[in-house]
Amino acid sequence: MAMFIRVKRSKTTYFIQCEPTEKILEIKQKLYSLIDEPVENQRLILLATGDILDDLKTLAEQKVENDAIVALTLRKGNNEFEDINIEKPEDHRNSSEVDAD
Amino acid sequence: MRKEDTVKLISAEGFEFVIDKKAASVSNTLRNMLSSSGSFTETQLGEVKFPEISTPVLEKVCQYFYWSLQFASGKETEFYIEPEITLELMMAANYLHT
Repeated sequence: MAMFIRVKRSKTTYFIQCEPTEKILEIKQKLYSLIDEPVENQRLILLATGDILDDLKTLAEQKVENDAIVALTLRKGNNEFEDINIEKPEDHRNSSEVDAD
Repeated sequence: MRKEDTVKLISAEGFEFVIDKKAASVSNTLRNMLSSSGSFTETQLGEVKFPEISTPVLEKVCQYFYWSLQFASGKETEFYIEPEITLELMMAANYLHT
């Protein structure tokens, strides 16, 4: 395995094994088998730079490195893509446990 | 990549990490759970809940699984651990036999 990326949406992270020479479209096809969302309804964004990743370019060409975090957004009913939505554990903590500090 | 070849690990806060079964098998505990024939409900559902492991620690554990596979295939890089999660990470590693 050459590399992996972490694809995040809401409370879920998908660890995807890949090669630097793979195109984004191939990554989307892998995601399709996991989440059943067709590739045309997926948008991937490199979180570090905010760049929307191009289907026909490779991971290496778009500076997506090993262990990089990539945000997944999906097409909504009105044909537009949703905003990046990655939840953090801090958002949930106050309800379930009360810290003494 | 097939859904059946992945397993979902769920943290204390309910965050989900979908990883390859091959990566999960870096942990002896998980490997035993996933390979035992049918006695664990985890095996059928393909998900394992860890109510004792916080989200940042579970994510680190998953990153470690993948790092470990890369290391085994000859790609030797450093594995960075944030000092503030070290203790909790060691307890999780102990539990997971990793």
